[in-house]
This record gives sequence, C-alpha cells and structure tokens, in this order.
Amino acid sequence: MKLRLASPKALIDINGVGELTQIREENGAIAVGALTRHDQLARNSIIREKSPLLAEAASVIADQQVRNRGTIGGSLAHADPTADLPTACTAIGGTIIAASVNGSRSIESSDFFRDYFTTSLRQDEIIKEVRVPIPPPGSGGAYLKLSKGQNDFAVVAVAVQVTIDGDDVCRTASVVLGGVAPTPVHAEETERFLVGRRLEDRVVEEGAQKAADRLSPPSDIRGSAEYRLEMAKSVTKRAVGLSASRARGSA
Amino acid sequence: MPNLTERLEINVRVNGRQYQRRVESRMLLVDFIRDELGLTGTHIGCDTGHCGACTIMLNGVTIKSCLLLAAQANHSDIQTIEGLAVDGKLHPMQKAFLEQHALQCGYCTPGMILSSLFLLQRNPNPSEEEIKRGIEGNLCRCTGYLNIVKAVKAAAIRTNRKGT
Repeated sequence: MKLRLASPKALIDINGVGELTQIREENGAIAVGALTRHDQLARNSIIREKSPLLAEAASVIADQQVRNRGTIGGSLAHADPTADLPTACTAIGGTIIAASVNGSRSIESSDFFRDYFTTSLRQDEIIKEVRVPIPPPGSGGAYLKLSKGQNDFAVVAVAVQVTIDGDDVCRTASVVLGGVAPTPVHAEETERFLVGRRLEDRVVEEGAQKAADRLSPPSDIRGSAEYRLEMAKSVTKRAVGLSASRARGSA
Repeated sequence: MPNLTERLEINVRVNGRQYQRRVESRMLLVDFIRDELGLTGTHIGCDTGHCGACTIMLNGVTIKSCLLLAAQANHSDIQTIEGLAVDGKLHPMQKAFLEQHALQCGYCTPGMILSSLFLLQRNPNPSEEEIKRGIEGNLCRCTGYLNIVKAVKAAAIRTNRKGT
C-alpha cells in the first residue's frame, strides 16, 4: 500500500480473531492458526518437536521485529516466491484451510501457489489455518537458504523432508526449492533419484545435481540465473545431507 | 478510491500514560507517535521496514512502527525510548550505550536500545553471536556495531549482577 501497488477500498484487521491464533495437535497433524506469528512458530514446543522443518524456516525469517509481527497466514497469502514459509510449507505437504462466509475448504500447498504473489484464494476468502502432517519416525528435515544478508530474501532456499527405513534406505523424499521460480517448486528428478537408495554422500551428491534440471530461474539484483542454478544444486546437497543425518538421529 | 478523510478514534497507553486521538485511517503508527503524541525519539529511517529506527515495544514485543497503521494499535500498550529513563535517571541499557560509546550520530539508537532490551528479556546472558542476531533488524549507518555489541554485553552483565 505504501508503494501504491495496492489501494484497497477497505481494510479489515483480523488480528482480533482469537481462534486464529491457536496451535494444536489433532489426528496425526498439527493445526496452525493463520495468525500464528513467525516467532511463535519458531519457538512453539509442538512445532519444534513434531515439525522441526517448519520451526527452522520460521526462525530465519527476516529479523526479530518482523518475526514478532508477521504471521503464517500472511506469508502464505502474500506468496512471495523468495519467502521462507511457502517453500517450507510445500515441502512438508501442508494443507491450507481457506474460509469465507460460505464455509471452509482445504487447498493443498501444491495447488495453492499459482504464480508470483498469486494464490488460489478467492476474493472473499481468508486463510484460517494450516494443517501440517506429522512425519513418521525415521524422518528428518532441513531448511537452508542462501541470502545476501541475514535479513534479506533468499537467492535460493531449499526445504527437504526425507524418511529413511532401518537400512538407511530413503522411503520418501520431498525436496522443494524457493527463489528460483514464480512459486516454490519440487525438484522432482532429485526426489525420484533419492527414493529407494541409501542416502550415502555420493547418492546425495548425484541427486542434488539433478535439482536444477528443469529450472529457468530469474536474474535479478540478488543473483544471476546461472548463479542460482549452481547454488540450487549446492544448497540442495547440503539440505538433503543434513536431513538424512537428522533422520538417522530420529530413527 | 479509498476513503482518505475517514477518521478513527484510537485509545492507546504509551509509556504508562493513556492517550485518545482521532486520526486518519491511513496514518502510520510511527507518524501517530511522532506527530500526534510528540514523542520524536522514535525515528523514521527508511519507512519500508528495513532499518529498524522506528522500533517500539507493542504489548511487550518489538515491532517496526512504520509497518503498522495507527488504527491497528488501538487498545494496545506501547513503550518508546522516552519511557525508559525514570526521574531523569537513565535506564541501565541507555547507560551502557553511553559508557561504551555505542552511538555516533544517534539515529539508530532508540531502535537499537529497544531491540537490545527485548533480547535481554528473552535471553539475559546472550553470547556475542546471539547479540548480533538480536539486533539484525536494526541498521547503523555509522557502522558502530562493535561498540553496540559491547554495550549490550555490559548491560547484560550489570543487570545480572543486580538480579543476584
């Protein structure tokens, strides 16, 4: 609004709606109210224990003042492709609950982000809640971002969630990149490569090389397209490696 | 077109004192604090949420007051830099900034001090790294960060000693 990109006729402050601030666990998932501040998300004991990837992503958003005020619903609805929560939320398979006077509906993260700053929310809808599935034992996740400074947006961000079995074989892999496309994107080639293999260093390395296969990232002041492609592979390698070692620790 | 002439009534508690004003719906909180209440210790640096010069405490947590409308602060409890000293006696954090030469031009100082206070509320004994992370939302164009970090450390030590 300050930049005159938007001049709405009316603004409704939903900050007073108490039911949107709750975090609770139910039926194998965590329901995170839309007004949950980034700072709460980063520090909440349920989130830290059951969805550490989300807590990790929230803890590196901007700076303390922004984390004290910004909300998960706001970040997702804004849909900035370089923001942290859209990428993290896509990786963990979060479901967005949208509400209007006509009722509620569920939207998968993968259907929610449509384009730069564009979501599938309808004109009369707000985000009410985000449902986050609790990963099974043997799971590990990591959120890593490369940025020009601690409180700048990501050049490349990678959110990874993997599950390994007792033989160290990867059973599920979700690898999502932010900052390299109009929306968060799954590195499908990497995911397919990792599943069914033991996550040894050379497998992680080879899988990460495929992360940039289908990307055509933008060039902007934060980095050229070539730089982003190289960094996408490099950050993916670190994030998958870290997730694998965390998964071993939790098994 | 948005209605720019609409005025809203706002009741806020600032530094322990209750205020009531009618302001334009589009007025920013930082402008409200400076222009309506005359508390000009809260500065405007970038007006885009980057620099942290307008940092205040809103209901006990630091926020950037250029990123909120005044109307959103209705019924809230605000603390600004003016509320720290008691009877002309500087707050320990202000004293530490003074003693450690943690300010040059002084523009970022009110925001720095509020962010530092919030950090110590959370973490009474922060490491140097934690102090740096705690003030990452506050820019000092004089680049006097070294002494700012020293001041926060000194304030932490002094406050902890007092507490025991």
